[in-house]
Amino acid sequence: MKYDVIVIGGGLAGLTSAIRCAEAGLKSVVISAGESALAFASGAIDVLGFDQHQSPIEDPFGHIKQLPAGHPYHKIGTESLRQSLAFFQAQMAAAGLTMGSHGQINHGRLTALGAMRPAWFSQKGAHTFSLAAPAAGIRHVAVVNLAGFRDFQPTLVAAGLSRQPGFADVAFTLADIKAETLNINARNAYELRSLELARTLKRDLFTQPNGLHILSSALQKAARNADLVVIPSVLAVAGGNDLMVELEQLSGLRICEVATLPPSLPGMRMAAALQQRFRHAGGLFLEGDQVLGGHFEQNRLLSINTRLNQDISMSASHFVLATGSFFSLGLVSDRHELKEPVFGLSVNGTADREQWSEECFMGGGQHRFSHTGVITDASLNPCYIGQTINNLYCVGAVLDGFNPVQAGCAGGVAIGTGWFAAERIISAMAHTPVRQVQEIC
Amino acid sequence: MLNLLDTSFDHCIKCNVCTTRCPVAEANPDYPGPKQAGPDGERLRIKNPQLYDEALKYCTNCKRCEVACPSGVQVGTVIQRAKAKHGGFHQGPREFILSHTDLVGTLSSTAAPVVNVATGLKPVKTLLDKVLGIDKRQSLPKYSRQTFRAWFDPDRQTKFERKICFFHGCFTNYNDPTVGKHLVAVLNAMNIGVTLLKKEKCCGVPLMANGFFARARNNAQLNLGQFADKLNDNNRVECIIATEPSCAMTLRDEYPEVLQVDNYALRDRILFASAFIARELADGNVPKMKPVNLRVAYHSPCHLIKQGGVIHTMELLNGIPGLEVVMLDQKCCGMSGTYGFKKENYQTSQRIGEAVFDQLTTMDVDYVVTDCESCKMQIEMNTGYKVLHPITVMAQSLA
Ligand SMILES: Cc1cc2nc3c(=O)[nH]c(=O)nc-3n(C[C@H](O)[C@H](O)[C@H](O)COP(=O)(O)OP(=O)(O)OC[C@H]3O[C@@H](n4cnc5c(N)ncnc54)[C@H](O)[C@@H]3O)c2cc1C
Ligand code: SF4
Ligand code: SF4
Repeated sequence: MKYDVIVIGGGLAGLTSAIRCAEAGLKSVVISAGESALAFASGAIDVLGFDQHQSPIEDPFGHIKQLPAGHPYHKIGTESLRQSLAFFQAQMAAAGLTMGSHGQINHGRLTALGAMRPAWFSQKGAHTFSLAAPAAGIRHVAVVNLAGFRDFQPTLVAAGLSRQPGFADVAFTLADIKAETLNINARNAYELRSLELARTLKRDLFTQPNGLHILSSALQKAARNADLVVIPSVLAVAGGNDLMVELEQLSGLRICEVATLPPSLPGMRMAAALQQRFRHAGGLFLEGDQVLGGHFEQNRLLSINTRLNQDISMSASHFVLATGSFFSLGLVSDRHELKEPVFGLSVNGTADREQWSEECFMGGGQHRFSHTGVITDASLNPCYIGQTINNLYCVGAVLDGFNPVQAGCAGGVAIGTGWFAAERIISAMAHTPVRQVQEIC
Repeated sequence: MLNLLDTSFDHCIKCNVCTTRCPVAEANPDYPGPKQAGPDGERLRIKNPQLYDEALKYCTNCKRCEVACPSGVQVGTVIQRAKAKHGGFHQGPREFILSHTDLVGTLSSTAAPVVNVATGLKPVKTLLDKVLGIDKRQSLPKYSRQTFRAWFDPDRQTKFERKICFFHGCFTNYNDPTVGKHLVAVLNAMNIGVTLLKKEKCCGVPLMANGFFARARNNAQLNLGQFADKLNDNNRVECIIATEPSCAMTLRDEYPEVLQVDNYALRDRILFASAFIARELADGNVPKMKPVNLRVAYHSPCHLIKQGGVIHTMELLNGIPGLEVVMLDQKCCGMSGTYGFKKENYQTSQRIGEAVFDQLTTMDVDYVVTDCESCKMQIEMNTGYKVLHPITVMAQSLA
């Protein structure tokens, strides 16, 4: 079986790459071993949030030149990064997911621990704070939980938020809307995760003709005229942002939904939107299979084998490795080394296990392992047994040279490198005849 | 080697991804979802078998949890095994009739005209509903008067040098031999002959779903013995082929993983039909085909997704001239074999399928294509579309 492009890994980076390729008419397939980090992510996109002193940044693009030399942004360049973000935003909009931004600067997004993280895009249901003056116009915040949901603790949100600039004098109201008030049958509330709560609400509340009114009045009552109402993101996966807008209109409140512990509903929305776009562009998404290795010849990767199809190799003109970091098994560690398990590409991890992490895990220091990743050249091509592989591109969290958590750049790197690799592939394929693209459904 | 002590449940990081994908947990609040039913529950069951939760019976074994798990936990299989070990299945006449597809098929095919008319009649349907708990809103599969085996003519296959063995399964044999006939036509057009097993037993899917695990294990042993005879025979049969995704998955994966029947030596030579055909096409063995000029929507069955087979069916379909294929969102249709026939599951089954039905109503296609007979029944019943097997579409295009 022969494809133009085989993308390994169906997370933010892989799908961005795949959508761009499929849209350009390339015969594209994504093989993904399982759910990606998107189901855990906030559903917002960070481009560059913090400088090297851990201070929040307003203008990420202005700070790119100060990033350490190996950072992927230096390879793809500012212009590609901008174009990729515009591409991403348009794709999400086409799938019905509006990504809001504050023009050319970062905004603040609230986390479930009450922290403020600089972000570039946020979904409509999340309130975007001004980074410079997050508390502007806010004197009273209500943090409201639903049905005693355990993965959201209003006390923690309030404690964290009150430490943010300008929030010291803001009043906080903490409340929980009981399951009985909403008429939902939450049986064992202790077992409800965000998605199960959303399913319960859908079944018991939103099927009632006045369901949204019941929720709206309950919120009004709990919020006591607060300027901002913070709730956990548990209302709905599909159409969740529109529901928030309706709820704001109905209640007259300003409401901010906050992504919770996994599964994160805003993250799931983004994953669904990306997959939908890929399918619409004619791409084939194969989940549940794992790429085990490949066949190289000189400086090209010719074909790959997967766990479920070990005796049938799949070949392509170009390949994209978007297998993520340690969490997604794009990188693994054993007793002796840190490595890239699919092909055994060169990584920059040190052999000395002692040095992989700081002694104090949450001490705020930089762990070496989070810089670990596949070494690539300026075209994002990796190195396999001393040879640069010209038709294999590495994108997203599998790359070396950046610390996504510390710099707040995970989303931007995934989208930027994914798009960049796709552009390279498209121009390399430009000589070969391209199929007619069909917008389907 | 058989993996007798599977500890994959220990790799669970409690992320809940499996539960986000479980169609049953979404549709039926009585089902606790794969995380609880699988890895969480397994720890309790190891401690004390009495902690087995009866609600596991709601699991359809669609394996979507397993496909999505980022940590490689065999969630669906853990649940299947727990059911095999602890499940207190209700095994009344309904379960017997629904699951003993080969026995019931033999009886019904003989009396096909009568059975088909009878099971379509309202009073009979009401009777089945009331007495047996087979939901009257479901159309029952018809029986074919002539079984596939009776139709099949081995003499016409002797001229081919290459040979495969077709595992036809119960549905093709007793209910509708169409796909089997089409497979023979397609393979013959590719210069490959078809043989059948001397004796074939139901692969075991419906038996397992209804709790007849010992019976399923017997069938597995018998079938594997037959496979060995065929494949080790010196008149060179290349492989065993199934056209039903659930049969293929069971023969390849459920035999060792759930029934603990070792198929290691043969497993690589048991193939889903489109995997075999896609490989032939890639190797240049392309039959003469004429354009079919159709636009079809392709629905991928859960058990084909699980085996990594969707890519092969897509290759096969893309190889048919004049066929435009629109891929549906890869959702579950809710039928899951005998599951949707049971009165207590009817509503869950319909709710699960809604996404598929809804998407189809917004589309303008000539046919729906899917590899699975059970998906076919569910989609035909709920959308008014006629559903074709990929092999049938390919057979239509043979020049
Ligand atoms: C908890 C959490 C919160 C986050 N919050 C934010 C945020 O607020 N803002 C932001 O911008 N970013 C955030 N991110 C990061 C964002 O989701 C990243 O873009 C992402 O982690 C990196 O994407 P990726 O596509 O490179 O890898 P991943 O999303 O990890 O995807 C890799 C995929 O590859 C698959 N795979 C691995 N090995 C194989 C193989 N051998 N064969 C086939 N498939 C394979 C995996 O199954 C997985 O699906 C967050 C991430 C996490 C985990
Ligand atoms: S998806 Fe896998 S790791 Fe996550 S909860 Fe389910 S079984 Fe556990
Ligand atoms: S096999 Fe299907 S029904 Fe059973 S738990 Fe997994 S996803 Fe749910």
